[in-house]
Amino acid sequence: MTPQDFVTQLLAGLTRAGLLFIVSAGLSLVFGAMRVINLAHGSLYMLGAFTASTVVATVGADIGLLPALVVAAAVAAGVGLAIETGILRRLYQKEHLLQLLATYAIVLIVADVVRYVWGVENRSVARPVGLRSSINVIGDPLPLYNLFIIVFALAIGGGLWFVVNRTGLGRDIRAAITDPEMLAGVGVNVSWLFTTVFMLGAALAGMAGAIVAPASAVGLGMDIDILVEAFAVTIIGGLGSIAGSLVGAAIVGIADSFGILLFPRLSLAVIFLAMAVVLAIRPSGLFGIPERV
Amino acid sequence: MRGLRPRPLIGWAGLVLVAATAPLFLKEIELFTATRIVILALWATSLNLLLGQTGLVSFAHAAYFGVGAYTSALLWLHLGWSPLIGIPLSIPMGAVVAFVTGAFALRAARLYFSLLTLALSQLLFVGAFQWYSFTRGDNGIHGIEVPEFLYSIANSYWLVLAISVLGLVALRLIARSPFGAALLAIRENRQRASFIGINVKRYELAVFTIAGAFAALAGSLFAISNQEAFPNLLFWTANATPIFVILIGGMFRFGGPLIGAVVLVVLEETVTRETLYSNLVLGVILLAIVLLAPGGIEGIAERILGRVRGRREPPVGETAGPTPGDAQQGKREVRT
Repeated sequence: MTPQDFVTQLLAGLTRAGLLFIVSAGLSLVFGAMRVINLAHGSLYMLGAFTASTVVATVGADIGLLPALVVAAAVAAGVGLAIETGILRRLYQKEHLLQLLATYAIVLIVADVVRYVWGVENRSVARPVGLRSSINVIGDPLPLYNLFIIVFALAIGGGLWFVVNRTGLGRDIRAAITDPEMLAGVGVNVSWLFTTVFMLGAALAGMAGAIVAPASAVGLGMDIDILVEAFAVTIIGGLGSIAGSLVGAAIVGIADSFGILLFPRLSLAVIFLAMAVVLAIRPSGLFGIPERV
Repeated sequence: MRGLRPRPLIGWAGLVLVAATAPLFLKEIELFTATRIVILALWATSLNLLLGQTGLVSFAHAAYFGVGAYTSALLWLHLGWSPLIGIPLSIPMGAVVAFVTGAFALRAARLYFSLLTLALSQLLFVGAFQWYSFTRGDNGIHGIEVPEFLYSIANSYWLVLAISVLGLVALRLIARSPFGAALLAIRENRQRASFIGINVKRYELAVFTIAGAFAALAGSLFAISNQEAFPNLLFWTANATPIFVILIGGMFRFGGPLIGAVVLVVLEETVTRETLYSNLVLGVILLAIVLLAPGGIEGIAERILGRVRGRREPPVGETAGPTPGDAQQGKREVRT
């Protein structure tokens, strides 16, 4: 492998990692605070991508991405609100399996609703006006849009860190991760907190969908594709940890891009092998919190 | 534990009799559907040994079904053997693969266990998907040659039925054995089960291996009746089908998955014919069951029958909630 190839793969991997981080941070946040594995997270991501494609088509490609980000996040958060208050809230006292199945039912429903609203054709979304060119990184062309994804992911990461560690909401979230019973005992409305956290996670998924729309085709099936990778990220990093999501996303993104180059036949296996190895050594992931038994 | 009592035994015998005479009154196309139902019933019942009986949520069960299907397919492809040899061989194959992956996955508990089974089953999927020289990769293996007597759909159905009935009887004996009772104890309360001397991990690995072996048996029957094996059999979303079946039928009774298999397949055949949006319909039904009737059809029937006969309602069918001693229960009381 030439140094040139190395840089190319590294940048591709980091771009993928940026996207995966935004998706899995939401998944991880929801799990950490609520102990719910949301299989419908990928569906919210797909919903965000399709919403963004419509917004960009309406507003125009030049500045369309900005409103698309906002609208996609809002739509996903709205659907998240409906899911949490309408369905999940009734299942917190039941077995994990029923929660998993409920979110799986939502996967099926959203997939068909998206198919009904947007049809089966793949859609492409034009990049915004300032981000269509490429810059040179050590002789390698890096599309500005990829750079934008990386920077945006870092900004989201910074924002999440600030919210979780420096605000009242974040204090409640951290408390809920440790012990929701005590949190309710000191007078916090845990039910409302859960709704907020779930909407925040959903908004992140929707935003990630909007971000990815101009970089790849928007189509049916992207919900399951991203879900499997996001699971790999959160499992490696540890469910419930934002830092874990960051590290996990970097590992999966980079393993993915180098895996394709080094073992083209077994590129997919590299991710899952990494996942199995991490879990076998640390069953709750690198930064994960062990499950409350 | 309760043995095989005479009255249910007569019921089961009647059911088998009806199933065995099905080719006399069903059309050919309906026999394909019937074959699907029988295989699905066996597969889902083997999963229910984990889900309903032990309380283990595994996302690797489709992978073992796929292992069985590929056992038959690969014997034919590489060695030119009759795929029928895959039927007995699929059992040890499934057991070995399930044992190895299960030993890994059971290092974790509960949710992390589920995720670990997901990861490991995806590894198996990738093996089938990308190892072209051995499995033909994503093309799958089609047109498996079966012996001439299986050209008749009725014969193929009878073969599948005979083996599935044997498998189901074996599964029922396991479920009703002292071993099965220990599994129930583990489902109800792992901690107390270990206090009375049950080695929880060892029992879980044993039942995981057994369930995997029967899933592989069902898979080998699929490969023979459909004459194909393909990677998507192993993909983790394929687990939705047997989980659906168990949930529709009810996970707390042995017969639940059998009812579920009939209902799901008939539902799919009718719904997919009527609408483009079959996932939407299935999703809504699944959601309704999860929210309104977690005991499934058997649970509902049980409740109605219980009321009619003035019997006490079955405790397990009703309490789908966490078991006593589950620390989460204490936490959740606060929320409501």
